[in-house]
Amino acid sequence: MSTALPNRRVEAWKYSDLAAALPGRTLPADTHGSVIERLAGGSAVVEAAPGAVETVLERFGEEGASLDARATTAIVHEGATLDRIVIQTGGDVRLSHWRVEVRAGGRFRQFIYAEGARLARLETDVVVAGAGAAVELRGAYLVAEGRHADLTSVVHHREAGGATHQLVKGVARAGGRGVFQGKILVAAHAQKTDARQNHHALLLEDGAEAFAKPELEIHADDVACAHGNTVGGLDDMALFYMRSRGLPDGEARALLVAAFLSEAVPESLAADVRDEILGRMHAWLEAGQ
Amino acid sequence: MLEIENLHVTVGEAPILKGLSLAVPDGEVHALMGPNGAGKSTLSYALTGREGYEAAQGSVRLDGADLLAMAPEARAAHGLFLSFQYPLEIPGVPTMTFLKAALNAQRKARGEPEVAAGPFLQLVRAKAEQLRIAPDMLKRPLNVGFSGGEKKRMEILQMLVLEPRLAILDETDSGLDIDALRIVADGVNALRSPSRAMLVITHYQRLLDYIRPDRVHVLVDGRIVESGGADLALRLEGEGYDRYLRVA
Repeated sequence: MSTALPNRRVEAWKYSDLAAALPGRTLPADTHGSVIERLAGGSAVVEAAPGAVETVLERFGEEGASLDARATTAIVHEGATLDRIVIQTGGDVRLSHWRVEVRAGGRFRQFIYAEGARLARLETDVVVAGAGAAVELRGAYLVAEGRHADLTSVVHHREAGGATHQLVKGVARAGGRGVFQGKILVAAHAQKTDARQNHHALLLEDGAEAFAKPELEIHADDVACAHGNTVGGLDDMALFYMRSRGLPDGEARALLVAAFLSEAVPESLAADVRDEILGRMHAWLEAGQ
Repeated sequence: MLEIENLHVTVGEAPILKGLSLAVPDGEVHALMGPNGAGKSTLSYALTGREGYEAAQGSVRLDGADLLAMAPEARAAHGLFLSFQYPLEIPGVPTMTFLKAALNAQRKARGEPEVAAGPFLQLVRAKAEQLRIAPDMLKRPLNVGFSGGEKKRMEILQMLVLEPRLAILDETDSGLDIDALRIVADGVNALRSPSRAMLVITHYQRLLDYIRPDRVHVLVDGRIVESGGADLALRLEGEGYDRYLRVA
């Protein structure tokens, strides 16, 4: 097994050049799994027992080593709900890989809030392994100068009647880079799957970047699948309209961006978590005014 | 009082306003009429400060202050309001939130205290009722998915709440059926005041049946070619703009 870190010539890492971010570093030999799992040196295990409701909150910030790589394997048993919330606010290289198996009637809901790091990649692989399982993947990234946030996911529908609702929204300022890679795979026998994927990014300044690779791979014929992906700027005419009503330019922009992002923040979050996230968003927006 | 003198505006490469002069004293409602392409909307954008509509020459004063030197938001704080011909959709921002932010931003710029949430809510609800806007529309993102007529009513609602010194209504009648037209006109008439000037831009005489102007100006090819009393609008309705176009 190769021990070189992936660079941008590796398809799955083409927007997040890990080799360039960690020069001289290699993957431990005789290890298995994904790049992040090998760097993490093992996976934590999370299980939601049948019918249980569990919440996991993870934080990735400035504190800790330059490289922070974490891997987790999660099983959502029959009829269980697992909520995962990630609050990633900074740091040098921040890597996460979750593998989730959702069994019949189970529900996995994820919300990632990411302000990026020098290189942050939050990777999620979900397997819909039982009938009628539901997956909700939401994310919001806000990247300022020198920050990189990569939200990569694969959802594999292996059983019938499952649903995936994915909504990721991002904003980038000059020198910030957002990456969205989202793949939804529906196997031939996973009929009646309902898969929706949306990613929308706003580039707030010249020199901001957002890269998107949305993929739907559908092998079943009786499914409902829809996706949308946009990368653009704020609507100049809407901004002018707001200013003509008296809102200063910075305030008008902040109001539009906050409204844009808040759509991706689930209503179902606990009030204190939701307040923290909205507060961080406003602080981020104000810092750029 | 609005005073425009010798205003020249070029949009892209094309000169649109070519020496427009116009004064609207406090307490008066003036109508600006003219054929398509005369420069009516260009004037409203130049007055409010849209990018690309800067004056090449001339001056615009509102109560003596140089409007053209101000940013759009400063013009609004100074008392200018434009009811847009095509009001913009503001996704994700509820109408009530938007209105409160706009009013408080203006008040802050003028050094006035912010309005409290309770009295503000009551004020907006009362004005909305007057315009027959359902209360739940105020919770929806501004103008998103609204019909043309609903958007125009929202413009008038904002005008009633912001209480400008100078209100410009750009083709507010377009897209309105006769009932909506009457409701909108009632709203505009309610704002008539000795301390307020209004400029009603319209292509047709119809709106002026409900908002009776003190003066009517005819804009053709970037200049005012004739001014007169309310009867001028009636005459235009009968004759059209042909005779001006032939002269121009």
